[in-house]
Amino acid sequence: MSTENIGLMGKLRSFLMKEYSFAILVALASAAIFAGTHMYFTYNVGAFNEIFVVQMLDEGLKGGDYAAAAGFAAGFLIARVLEGPLVGVLDIGGALMTGVGIGIPAILLASGLTLPIENFALSLLTGALVGILIAVIILIVRKLMPEGMEASGTNIMMGAGNASGRYLGPLIIISAIQYSIPAGLGAFIGAAIFYKMDKPIAGGAILGGMILATIFPVIA
Amino acid sequence: MFTIIIKSLIIGMIGGGAIAAGAARMFHAPKIQSMGAFRTLGELNACKGDAITHFSFGLGFLFNAAASVVAAGALTQDVLHRVVPNLAAGTLLLKNKKVEETLYDPAKMAMAGAVVGGVTLVFLNTLAATIPESMSITAREILGPAANLMINPVMPIIFWLAALDAGKITGIWGTILGGFAHMIMGNAVPGAVLGILIGQSIQDRGYSKSVKIMIGIVIVLFFIIAYFRGFFEQVAVFF
Repeated sequence: MSTENIGLMGKLRSFLMKEYSFAILVALASAAIFAGTHMYFTYNVGAFNEIFVVQMLDEGLKGGDYAAAAGFAAGFLIARVLEGPLVGVLDIGGALMTGVGIGIPAILLASGLTLPIENFALSLLTGALVGILIAVIILIVRKLMPEGMEASGTNIMMGAGNASGRYLGPLIIISAIQYSIPAGLGAFIGAAIFYKMDKPIAGGAILGGMILATIFPVIA
Repeated sequence: MFTIIIKSLIIGMIGGGAIAAGAARMFHAPKIQSMGAFRTLGELNACKGDAITHFSFGLGFLFNAAASVVAAGALTQDVLHRVVPNLAAGTLLLKNKKVEETLYDPAKMAMAGAVVGGVTLVFLNTLAATIPESMSITAREILGPAANLMINPVMPIIFWLAALDAGKITGIWGTILGGFAHMIMGNAVPGAVLGILIGQSIQDRGYSKSVKIMIGIVIVLFFIIAYFRGFFEQVAVFF
C-alpha cells in the first residue's frame, strides 16, 4: 500500500481500507444489481446473472410462479452470507447477483409488491437497504469471531491464491485446443510469445486463440 | 433508448465502483472483510499485473456476455466477476505497473471500476448485438471450459495441497472441512481456507479459547448452510 494518505484520494483510500466501509460497498453493489433486475423487468435487458437463472425469474414474470427463483436464490443468499465472514470474502455471485438480484425480487413479486422493481429510484434504494442489512449481518458475525484468528493462516492462503493463478494459462490453452485446431495453435503460439516477452501466458493464449479462431472459424 | 443509456450508466458506475473496490480489498482479506470470489482472486493473480493480459481476459468475457445479452437479456455474472475487475485493473496498470499501488488500492480501483462499469453496462445494454456472433462463440468456447475447470477442480486442489503442505494438524483440518465444504457448499475452497486458518492457529497457540470458539462457530454455520442448501434432504435419502 502506498504511503501517501493525503488529499481526496488518500482520504478515500483510508476510508475504503476500514472494516466498516464494507457496508457501503455491499449497499452500492446491491443497489446496482437490484436495479439491473429493474432493467430486465422494464426493458428485458440488463439482469446481472446467467441465462438459466434469469429464466427462473422469467417463469414467475410470465406465469406468476416464483417458487423456483425464490427457493434457488434464497438458499444461495443465506449460505453465502454466512460463509462470507468466515473466509473474509463475500461471494458476490451467490449472495448479491443471485440472492439480491433474483431471490429478493422473486419474493417481493410473489407477495404482490411490484413497485420496488418497477420504479428505478426505488429499485436502487431497495437494493441498497438489502445490501446494508447483509453487510451488518456479516460484520456482526465477524465481530463474534475471536481476535487473531486471521493472522496465522494468511500467508498460506495468499500462497495458494497466487499458485492458482498459474494454472489459468495452461487451462486456456487446453480449452482452446479442445475447441478447434486454429484456436489451439494460436493459443499455444501466443502463450510462447508472451512467455518470451516475460508476460503472463494467459494473455497470449487468449489473444492468439481468439485471433486464429476468428480468421479460421469452425463451420457448424 | 435514452433512458436505458442513463440508467445503465448509473447502475454501471455504482456497481462497477463498489465491485472493483471490493475486489481490491480481497488482497487485504481476511484482515478486512472483502467481496468478490476466490476465482476472481486467482484470475487477477494469473494476470500478474500485466495490462494486456487483464484486458484480453476481461474483453474475452465481455464478448461472451454480449452473446448472452443478445440471446436472453442476461448480462451473465461474469460482468461483475471478471469484466469490471480485469478491465479496471488493466486501465490502472497502463500507467503504473506496481500492483501494490493499483490493483491492491481500493480507492483507485473504485474510480477505474466506476468508469469501466458505466461504459460496459451502456455498451452491453444497447450495443451488444454489434459484436459478431462468431467472436462471442469463440470467446465462450475458449474461456468457458478453462474458467470452469479453474473453479472445480483446480482451485480446490491447490488450496487442499496448501493445507496438506502446512503440517499435520492443518492438513487434517483442511481435509475434513474441505470435504464437508465440497459436499455442502459445492466447492472445497472455503472449507480448505477455514481448515488452514484453524489448523495454523492450533499449531501456533494450541487449542486456545479463541480457537475453540472459532471451531464452534464454523460447525454451527456449516449446519445452517447445509440446511438452507437442502443438504439434509439429500442425506435423508439414504435412510
